[in-house]
Amino acid sequence: MSETSTTLIAVSGSGRHQGRSSNIGRIVARMRKQPGTIVAGAFIVVLFFTAILAPLLAPYDPTQVNFDNILEPPSAQFWLGTDDLGRDQLSRLIFGAQIVLIVALGAVVVAALIGVPLGLIFGFNGGWWDRIGMRFIDMAQALPGMVIGLTVVAILGRNIIILMFAIGLIGASLFARMTRAVVLVERNKLYVEAAEVAGLPRRQIIFGQILPNLVGPIVTQGTVFLGSAIMIESAMSFLGIGLSSDIPTWGAMLSLALDNQAVAPHLTWPPGIAIVLTVLAFSVFGDGLNDALTGERRRLPRLGLRLAQAEEERAARAAVPTVQAAIGADTSSSSGAQPVLVAHDVSVALAMPDRTQARIVKNVSITVAKGEIVGLLGESGSGKSTFARAVLGMLPPGTWLATGSIRLLGEELAHRRESELAHIRGTRMGAVFQDPMNALSPVHSVGMQLTEPLRLHKAMNRAQARARAIELLERVGVRNAASRLDDYPHQFSGGMAQRVAIAMALAADPELLIADEATSALDVTTQAQVLDLILDLRDEYGLGVLMITHSLGVVAETCDRAAVMYRGRIVEDSSVETLFHDPQHLYTRSLLAANPANAESSGRLATIDGELRMEIDRQLDAFEADEAGA
Amino acid sequence: MSTATGDAMTPLLEVRDLSVGYETNGGFWGRRGIVPAVEGVSFEIAPGETLGFVGESGSGKSTIGKAILRLVSPLAGSIRFDGRDVADDGPRAPLSYRRQVQAVFQDPSASLNPRHLVAHSIESSLRRHGVTTRSEVRDRTLEAFEMVGLDRSHLQRFPNELSGGQQQRVARARARVLRPRLVVCDEAVSALDLSTQGQIINLLADLQQSTGVSYLFIAHDLGLVRHIAHRVGVMSQGSLVELAPVDDIFGSPQHPYTRRLLGATPASSPEGRDERRARRREFRAKAEAVS
Repeated sequence: MSETSTTLIAVSGSGRHQGRSSNIGRIVARMRKQPGTIVAGAFIVVLFFTAILAPLLAPYDPTQVNFDNILEPPSAQFWLGTDDLGRDQLSRLIFGAQIVLIVALGAVVVAALIGVPLGLIFGFNGGWWDRIGMRFIDMAQALPGMVIGLTVVAILGRNIIILMFAIGLIGASLFARMTRAVVLVERNKLYVEAAEVAGLPRRQIIFGQILPNLVGPIVTQGTVFLGSAIMIESAMSFLGIGLSSDIPTWGAMLSLALDNQAVAPHLTWPPGIAIVLTVLAFSVFGDGLNDALTGERRRLPRLGLRLAQAEEERAARAAVPTVQAAIGADTSSSSGAQPVLVAHDVSVALAMPDRTQARIVKNVSITVAKGEIVGLLGESGSGKSTFARAVLGMLPPGTWLATGSIRLLGEELAHRRESELAHIRGTRMGAVFQDPMNALSPVHSVGMQLTEPLRLHKAMNRAQARARAIELLERVGVRNAASRLDDYPHQFSGGMAQRVAIAMALAADPELLIADEATSALDVTTQAQVLDLILDLRDEYGLGVLMITHSLGVVAETCDRAAVMYRGRIVEDSSVETLFHDPQHLYTRSLLAANPANAESSGRLATIDGELRMEIDRQLDAFEADEAGA
Repeated sequence: MSTATGDAMTPLLEVRDLSVGYETNGGFWGRRGIVPAVEGVSFEIAPGETLGFVGESGSGKSTIGKAILRLVSPLAGSIRFDGRDVADDGPRAPLSYRRQVQAVFQDPSASLNPRHLVAHSIESSLRRHGVTTRSEVRDRTLEAFEMVGLDRSHLQRFPNELSGGQQQRVARARARVLRPRLVVCDEAVSALDLSTQGQIINLLADLQQSTGVSYLFIAHDLGLVRHIAHRVGVMSQGSLVELAPVDDIFGSPQHPYTRRLLGATPASSPEGRDERRARRREFRAKAEAVS
């Protein structure tokens, strides 16, 4: 596993290696944004140079005994003083770095060479290999590392190779465990099956396909273990079971300092600080590397952008009254009844990594009347789900409502405090998402999840809430509702779990139900049942439903009206009959033509690409330019 | 799409009474059981034909694909490819079979190794199947890429640098490069947007026309299957309940389950949806009365 350490150094170096592989470039770019990692990395680089250039840097020979200057305190001649044989502390510290790094790197290589293949074999073969092998690993890990080290040194003697081996053995179980965990995840991935279908031999699948996915975790684990190895080496030298006492090591220096603590307290500090800083540097660097490899987490926007966001929100809030007046006039003229949802001119901004912002929802206006099912149709990335989250007041971090007003039965929701929104969500809006298993907590029974909001928002007691929960489950078609209340989500099939999620949404007695791709993950027969349920509930309670979907079929079967979204914008908003038989926008026409259910059973399918896609984009660009000009 | 001449020629693939089961994990000391996933399924695929398989998740349609790809072993029955029973070859499929039977899986991003350049997956299959000279590997990889509408610039990319449709094209190129005679497409376009689905479906049809490859096209979307398949098999609870030419399945479905599946499929326009809803309600009431 020598490539582990070389990659490590390449990455910790200057980042000049980003030329060929863009992956490494990206990792280095991410690490540059982590100040802790940079400091730790710089320390490690300095440490490596110190070790390599030790003969040049050290003012004295670290082993030269000088009985004239025993236990001297720090002075101009001996910067860190001398020890009980008159040897220069600074020189010993510098040469100690050499030993410590050689032993630690060697130990990491040994640990990886033993641990990684074991983990690969156990993880890939599974079965008895895995059961028996892992029990041995468990046993090895249960032994204190120091005992293993002691035993190896006691049997094989004291020299640098044996020390590496002893420490490496301690770390091998860590590598085996981590490797196995990653392999268990990777071996079920489709690309492994694809490799099997290609006829690649097992050896090549393990080493050629799975191993590259392990490089990240191995490098991270290696860096962190490097720190541990230094600690173990120092501890063993401190106890006098490391290298022979005339070789300068930090642990032995610390041990010497302890013997002479009364007369020369200055001896403790240099090796102690060196060990602490080095171990710290390697673990901080390892953590940073891990973060860089696993990808950037979405963070809150940076301060400048946050200020811009606050400013914009203030402006938007100030603009709301006029918007409301406009809507008020609008709705009173069109019909007597108040719509359930009126979203007007809603835009959502996204903070970009380069500190600018992009609009992912642009000036969207949509109205849902009582008892009306309004479709929001679009491809992935069109902004339809982001709009749904804006209505729910649940925008993900890094995005915010830039303009617009969202009114639920006349009450403004935009820019309300989170606590108020939570109450509104709990009492007047319900939402159902694509994956019911994600929407339901796996560790609580369905009954608990249904009754808790009832008790919280509707102030019911335990018995009332339970009775209502049973009623709700029966209403959505869960059989034996009373007994299933104590079941956990995983005990329900996908369709049944989605019914439970709908029951939870209904628990709020909502006026508005938001269904975000609620049936996309279901089979056609189950989909039809869930859609029928939503239709029934609409008829029964007069729910307003916002049906967000990418499926033309779902719109055709359920919606009264539908808006088509493309690139964050509504390009068409028509009754469902108009949408299907007299579509106004080119994009809508193209979508309908591309629907395989619509096409003749033979002949080529219409697609949206090339020229057509460009023409649609051109039209939208022209529209946006007009709007910006106006 | 031209109709394949099925009966005159010998079938490319002939599956007889296939049963496949999965072992249940009984914990450390627990007893292992076998859960049947597919029972007694028989069908054949002619050269140049597309056989569609539809059914709900858990109906066993993907398991049949896996059995043909030899990723799971059958409990009973035979799979004959080109007249030879593949079970005769022992537990590991011989390379000649691997070369002739390829696959395209549902999630293109998961079926490509995220740590390898996309060209790598194609080159490694070529090398494995005896194409060793560097220039020939390069030429055939490029040729496969061009066949699926990608170009030289896509070769040296990582999967996450391509769009979903492009990733699926790479998966197609990988399945194509060995010039197989049968490709198993397991929900190959289900994860794609409507506009991209059409492109991939057209691509499959074009390749069939130019190379005469056969497809086993597994999907839950009847609209798609209708468009690409010559014949359609309907799976329910591990059994093949109906197998007929595509026009018969959609025009005069025989089995009640096929009718139910068709009734549940969303229509392409809103007309008559109230009647469809009433019919479904009636059907459910009847089913509930029975049980």
